[in-house]
Amino acid sequence: MIRCKPLLGTYVEISAEIGSINMTSFELDEVINTSFSAIKLVQDLMGFHHPDSELSKINTLAHKEVLEIHPWTFEVLRIAKEIHKASLGMFDCGVGSRLVEAGLLPNHQRASTQAWGGLADLILEEPNLVNSMRPIQIDLGGIAKGFAVDKAVEILKSTAIQSGLVNAGGDMRVFGTQAQEIQVRSPSNPNDLIFIGLLQDGAVASTSLYYCDATKSRSRSPIVNPMTMEQIEFTESYSVVAPKCIYADALTKVLTITKNSTHPCFAEFSAHAIRI
Amino acid sequence: MQWNPNPIRILAGITIASAPLYAHAKIYISVDQAQKLIFPNKQFTKYPVVLTKDIQDKMHSASSVSHPFKSDRTWKASDGSWFIVDEVVGKHEMITYAVGISSIGTVQSIEIMEYVESYGYEVAEEVWRKQFIGKSADDAIKLKKDIQNISGATLSCKHLTDGVKRIMVMYDLALKPKAK
Repeated sequence: MIRCKPLLGTYVEISAEIGSINMTSFELDEVINTSFSAIKLVQDLMGFHHPDSELSKINTLAHKEVLEIHPWTFEVLRIAKEIHKASLGMFDCGVGSRLVEAGLLPNHQRASTQAWGGLADLILEEPNLVNSMRPIQIDLGGIAKGFAVDKAVEILKSTAIQSGLVNAGGDMRVFGTQAQEIQVRSPSNPNDLIFIGLLQDGAVASTSLYYCDATKSRSRSPIVNPMTMEQIEFTESYSVVAPKCIYADALTKVLTITKNSTHPCFAEFSAHAIRI
Repeated sequence: MQWNPNPIRILAGITIASAPLYAHAKIYISVDQAQKLIFPNKQFTKYPVVLTKDIQDKMHSASSVSHPFKSDRTWKASDGSWFIVDEVVGKHEMITYAVGISSIGTVQSIEIMEYVESYGYEVAEEVWRKQFIGKSADDAIKLKKDIQNISGATLSCKHLTDGVKRIMVMYDLALKPKAK
């Protein structure tokens, strides 16, 4: 069974094989529905586009007060800070302000230019408390999709389903006893597919600019170098293979920005970087 | 996790592309399956809608979707729910999808039924699209379906969002029960 829904601003596919186990098609539909609901919850909590999302609340209030947040948002922020530290600041979802300026994200705050903080200013405290030392514009676009994929996979794996796949617009995770062939689009001709390897029980995510509208005079690149706060343009495709999709997703930004496929943070998270 | 990288690509250090695909396609679910997934226990009857030029113009201006709506893919349940199948055509993709509208006029759910992709302008051309219409999962002609796991840049679902907007405008103007 393979289904697809529009979520997280892209098309999300969920595929599940029941093999020889005893599960009715109705039960399978229900499990897949629950997986899609988990992705929808991530979208509702962590979407920058929604002025009422929990993320928007953090961006508006976290520098003024301590906020109690959903454990999933807390988990994503915790891992974001972990990768921020391991990448020596090359991964930073505090770049939302630049993407707002570039017109790639909506401006909810209507605030004039100010000194925005980054992930380093964010303070997390168990259980599920967050505040910030400076005003922030966190965009979880570079990490939440991977987290959503992981949550959907966890639900599938908690049942008797033997193997499956969740693919959120190119960020995907597979599980089961069979290794699966992974293809990446050629950045010079996205219609060409490049076989990069066989993956079993793992995740892969990719970043490239071939879907961006190159006819616009302003940069459409969603990747911002946190050191310079400039959007970066590139012609390559960057992929990262990792045990969990949240790491694969976030680490593609480190690879895209540093262009260094042997950056120590890949080994730290048992990840492999691939440049095409 | 077990990861076995493609040795050819790694050793050569160059990209080995597979043969160019004319179009990559995925067929997810049929009309019947989509109907059962969105409304598990409801009976639907085909209910073609007639759209005046004025309604079509309003649907166009509210959604910026320009290709004509095929009004013979609309179904109605006795409680006033609707099940509608439509297509959207983007720069990179053509998508057939189903949307369920509840009896109170809200989007119940959306399921993607079919996805055909190509690059460049072809996908927007009527001639190019016609060759796929009516194709099923059994038709392999020019549809490459066996490649499942493609990682890549994220494709926006904006065109689909516009398509659903157009259907909801149509619901408001033509399908919704008239206020007494």
